Amino acid sequence: MRSPLTRRGFLAAGTGLTAATALPALSGCSALAAADSDPDTLVVHSQLGTTAPGSPTYLASLDRFREENPGLKVKNLVNGDDLAQVYETSRLARKEPDVVMVNLYDKTLAWTDVGATVDVKDYLDDWGLRERVLPVALDAWTDGKGRLRAFPYFATNWPVAYNRSLLDKAGVDEIPVTGDQLIAAARKLRAKGIGPVTTGGNDWTGQKLLAQIIQTFLSENEARHVYSTGDFSGSRGAKEGIDYFVALRDAGVFVDKAQGLTSDLMTTQYNTQSAAIQSAMSSALAKVPESVARHTDVGGWPLAEGAAHELPTILRTYTLIGFWISPNGTKKIDAVEKFLRFMYRPDTVSRFIKESGRDMALRSSTVSTDFPLVAAAQRLGDDVSQVLLPDVYVPPAATQPLITATSTSFTRGTPATKVRTALEAAYHSA
Amino acid sequence: MKLGKRWLPAHILVWSYAVLLIVPLYYFLASAFKTNDEIFAHPFALPTSFGFGNFRTAFDSADLGLAVVNSTLVTVFALVLTLGLALPAAFALARSTGRLASVMEKVFSLGFLIPTFAALFPTFLLAAATGLFHTRTFMVLFLPATAMPLSVVILVQFMRTIPKEMEEAARMDGASTFAVLRHVYIPMCMPGIATVLLLNFLTFWNEYLYSLVIIGPDPAQRTVQVALPTLKSITGTDYGVLTAGTVLTLVPVWVVYTVLQKRMQQALVSGAVKM
Repeated sequence: MRSPLTRRGFLAAGTGLTAATALPALSGCSALAAADSDPDTLVVHSQLGTTAPGSPTYLASLDRFREENPGLKVKNLVNGDDLAQVYETSRLARKEPDVVMVNLYDKTLAWTDVGATVDVKDYLDDWGLRERVLPVALDAWTDGKGRLRAFPYFATNWPVAYNRSLLDKAGVDEIPVTGDQLIAAARKLRAKGIGPVTTGGNDWTGQKLLAQIIQTFLSENEARHVYSTGDFSGSRGAKEGIDYFVALRDAGVFVDKAQGLTSDLMTTQYNTQSAAIQSAMSSALAKVPESVARHTDVGGWPLAEGAAHELPTILRTYTLIGFWISPNGTKKIDAVEKFLRFMYRPDTVSRFIKESGRDMALRSSTVSTDFPLVAAAQRLGDDVSQVLLPDVYVPPAATQPLITATSTSFTRGTPATKVRTALEAAYHSA
Repeated sequence: MKLGKRWLPAHILVWSYAVLLIVPLYYFLASAFKTNDEIFAHPFALPTSFGFGNFRTAFDSADLGLAVVNSTLVTVFALVLTLGLALPAAFALARSTGRLASVMEKVFSLGFLIPTFAALFPTFLLAAATGLFHTRTFMVLFLPATAMPLSVVILVQFMRTIPKEMEEAARMDGASTFAVLRHVYIPMCMPGIATVLLLNFLTFWNEYLYSLVIIGPDPAQRTVQVALPTLKSITGTDYGVLTAGTVLTLVPVWVVYTVLQKRMQQALVSGAVKM
């Protein structure tokens, strides 16, 4: 019997297999091993680079940086939500990128403390960049021990977007500013088959909205205490805020099955006009289609009677994206300095505002013209009250359990006591 | 051929099943040509245009071309290594009748008991310790290790169906043990090999978690399953682009399945008769 596989063929296959196994190893060495070994390559790990808002501007800026620094190569690594996990495993293997562009949230809250990234305060001063940053942003990025976690870059306003056209269609004449008006508007919208408030009840967008509503009856200091400790039952204001949330939820203010939605579906529902109201950060507002944007008003979240705030509330944060420097980055600090100086340059900052509609944590006189909703959110100023974004106060280990508790909270019929218990359990399990 | 009434329920079931498969597939393919507005406003309508804009955007922004090449490299080399190890192992186990062989076969079966996720951290430590972290080579070596239990168990069962007389005849002709494997067992186990190839191809190609952690996000090395999620944005995903990107990554799967399906069907049928 003859088989097509001869001894020579078999040996050739074996040799091929060996070569084949070796081939990726060689190419692997030239690819990411360069991250920590090649002093002429700066490795940046970012959430920008594909379809995230600001990506085209970021990539164009990188190209310009490369042109201006011909001897310095820049490698851009892109991840989405899983960036923190990927960075941490890279760091454990001591092969982490030099600079990380990510927000201050969840896992990243612990990075400076555990040495995954370095305190950048001295670099900021040595490079003379302190004056470029808004003081409020520096405060937000500074931890309890006075360490600056990262170079602040993107900020965001987080107003409530109202589709005026859909509200008109449902017979709602005014943008609601009280809870009662919001409930009445929701009923009218539902009667016309339009979803009222859409939110990602199963992710961070729902968590933020829930925090915003709970803070209706909390001062800033009280909110800081509640979100640092998770003591929702011990605070009268927090209890009233949860009661207010439950009343709105059970009156049908949120779209059906909000407890299962994510940020993706939230923005899609608003952008496709199947829902009339969303609480959205400015990068999401920048992606609202022009046909919807021209009928959209931005404002704050309606207040209940006896609220701790004078005006409807919004969230603002200066911790959206910052430049973190890794221990590997300190070995190439000259390259990092060039990169940071370039990214902080007024012309680069202006590009992000003009081309991508991003809010910046840096000083700039540039105003977004092509993104009317982003500009409108910037103009809200003192027309709204601001509540605390709890991200930097929630212990990192409680962040994910809080998302689960958020989903429970958005489930219709869940009593206020159970909402409180779920929120507190998130802290206890941490 | 005229079909009687007793065939009717079978027809209804078959067509219902076909619809269950075709509807999501149609929705998936149609979405690849639509905008978000069209997808959500008229999910089952035909696309208004069949332009390749979404495909181009997905291909360019996630660098899918390079990612497909990387996935192909990892998958092909891992498959070759899997077969290179599983065939001799299965051959030895199938021909042995002693207690040790029986124990060894059970040891391979124990591999099924290890949950994939549980092995992640030790695997990461191994990759870091061997200096193969952030290389595709580690995955080429690691994936066959995960596939060995299933591959060996399947191949052993196929090889046991080969009559001993075939080997005896080859031995009479002066064939060595290696020649028996090459000229008798491998040709007669082709359906089983096809089954192992197809099952492992799907597993290797679709592997995400280990590829994400071990190979990492470098566009020069990342696999297609790591590249694809970068098309998802937390502030508004373009589902048309995302589905177009997914379609592109499924083309190789479809090609491989088409090539191997006959062999696999043959394998399943022969298994049904012989075992």
